[in-house]
Amino acid sequence: MDYEKKEGDVFEAIEGLTPVDPTALADFQRAMNDEVIPEIVKVVQERRMLAAESRHWQLKC
Amino acid sequence: MYTWISLNSSNDLTKLETELSTEYGPGRVAKKLAGGISSAVKGVLIERNYVDKDYRSTYYNFYAKKGQRYRADCVRLHFFDGTVTFDENALKLNCPEGARQLSDHYFGFVVLRPTGIATIGRSIVSPDVRSGASRYIITARHKVHLLGYKLFIEGFPSMDQHIDISVCAHAACWSILRHYSERYNMYREFLTHDITLMAHQFDPGGLIPSKGLEVSHAERVFQEAGTFPVHVTRDNTKSSDPSFYRQLSAYVESGFPLFAAMHKHGHAVAVVGYDWRTPVNTAIPGMRYAWDEIQALAFVDDNHLPYIPVLVAGGTPYSSEDIDAFIVALPEKVFYPADAVDRLAPTLFKLGAVVGLPPQDQTIIRYFITTGSALRHFVRQRESEFDPKLLATIMTLPYAQFVWIVEFATEAQWAVDQVAARAVIDATASLREPMPLWLIHSGAKALVFNRRTVSTDLQAGIRGLQLADMGHAGFTRMEQNLRPTQTK
Repeated sequence: MDYEKKEGDVFEAIEGLTPVDPTALADFQRAMNDEVIPEIVKVVQERRMLAAESRHWQLKC
Repeated sequence: MYTWISLNSSNDLTKLETELSTEYGPGRVAKKLAGGISSAVKGVLIERNYVDKDYRSTYYNFYAKKGQRYRADCVRLHFFDGTVTFDENALKLNCPEGARQLSDHYFGFVVLRPTGIATIGRSIVSPDVRSGASRYIITARHKVHLLGYKLFIEGFPSMDQHIDISVCAHAACWSILRHYSERYNMYREFLTHDITLMAHQFDPGGLIPSKGLEVSHAERVFQEAGTFPVHVTRDNTKSSDPSFYRQLSAYVESGFPLFAAMHKHGHAVAVVGYDWRTPVNTAIPGMRYAWDEIQALAFVDDNHLPYIPVLVAGGTPYSSEDIDAFIVALPEKVFYPADAVDRLAPTLFKLGAVVGLPPQDQTIIRYFITTGSALRHFVRQRESEFDPKLLATIMTLPYAQFVWIVEFATEAQWAVDQVAARAVIDATASLREPMPLWLIHSGAKALVFNRRTVSTDLQAGIRGLQLADMGHAGFTRMEQNLRPTQTK
C-alpha cells in the first residue's frame, strides 16, 4: 500500500515544487468547464458527421 | 545487365531511349527525370532484369492473366553524384573515399515497369536532388542492394499509378504504408496488389480497382494495415475552416504523412512535408498558428516525381487549400484529437500570468504529437537550456507513450527557431478532462501536473516550480520529425 502510494506520487520525486494558489487557476478552470470542453465535444461530433459524408467521395484521377 | 550513363547535362538522359526497350517508356521517363532531377546527378546506372516485388505482385495477379504478354522483370535506374564511376568489366562502383562511403554519393533509384504506360514504379529519390523539392520532408532510411553493395537512401516512397489496376488513391496508400514499414518496425510491408485487395471486403476481381476508390476504402486500407486511421473533413458550410488546416499541418509536423483527398479534383495525394514562409517582422497584433507560416505543402502525387511544393493558395493545377479531407494513420494510443488541442491551446493563455507566457496577440502557436521518449531525448541534447529542476521534472513525469506538444513563440523567436514556452499534453486524455496536461513551462516558471490526482483534487494535483534564468532568449524549437532538404 505504502509502495503504491509512493509510486503514485510523482511530486515526491521532484525537488523544488511549491503549492499553487487555486485562485490563479480559477479562470482557466472555468473556461475549460464552461466553454472549451463543451465546444470540443461539439466540434468532435461535427467532424464525425462531416467525415461520414466524405467517405463516399470518389477518387480516380 | 548493367550500363552506366554519364550525365553532362539533362539531355544525356535521352540515352535511356537507346538503352531500354519501349515497354519501359524510356522517352517519357527521360523527359520526366530531365525536368525533375537536379544537375548534381552525374551518373545513372541501369540495372536490368531487376525483380521488383511490387511489380511482381501485380504481374502474378493481373498482367500474367492478360492476352497481351508482359515481361516479369523490371529495370532499375540508380542515381549517383560526379565522384562515382563504374568499372564495366569488373562490375564495380568506385568512389574516392572507398566503397563504404558509396551511400554518401547515392541519390536513390527509380524502378521502371514493363507496362508500356505509367512505367515509373517503386521509387525512392533523395529530396536533395529533386528540383524544387520542399524544404522539410518526412523521410525514412531505405536499404538498397546493388552489385553486392549495401546502400542507404533517405526519402519517401513514390510511384505512378498503374491506371488499369490501381488509381491515385492506391498509390497514395501504398506510399504511406511503405514509409511506415521502413520507418517503424511494428508495421509489415504491403505490396501494390495487397493494397488493391485491402480496400474492399472481398476481392472484386479484374479491373474493378481502376474504376476508382472512395475515401472510405482508403480508410479501410489503413485499418487493415494495423493503424488507427483518423479521418478529418473540412467544414464546407463555413466560408473557411482554418482549424482543419491547422490540424493537417500539426499531423505532418508530427511526422505522419497524410492521405489527402481533393473532392473537386477527384484526386488523392500523400502530404509529406512543407515549406515555411520567410519570417518577416509584421508587428501586426493577433495570435497566429504554424499553419499561417506555411507557404506550401509537399505532395507525393502519382502524376509527378515526388516532393512537389504546392502553394497554400493560388497554385496550379491545385492548391493545398483544395484538400478537403485527410486521413492520418495513427498509432493506437492517441485518444486526444487534434480538434481538442486546437481549442485547448489558446485557452492555455489563461495560465499565462502564472507561467509567464508571451502576450496572446503576439504569439505563434505550433502543436504536434511526439513520444515521451522523444521529448526527453530532445531535452537531454539541449541540457544547458533547461534549469536542472525543470530537466529533472521532464525526465521524471510518467508520460504515456504519446504526448501533444504546444509551443508558444513570439514573432522574433519564430524567426530564429526558438520558443518562449512549451506545454506537454497527455495524448491519452479524454475529451472532457479539464486538466489534460503533464507540464507547462516558460523560462521563468513551470506548472507540473500529477495526472493521477489532478482530475479529482485540483489543489493536490498541481505544483509550481520557480526556474532559474538560463541566460537565453528562448528554447530551441522542437523540430525532429522532418528532414531538412539539403539542395544539391
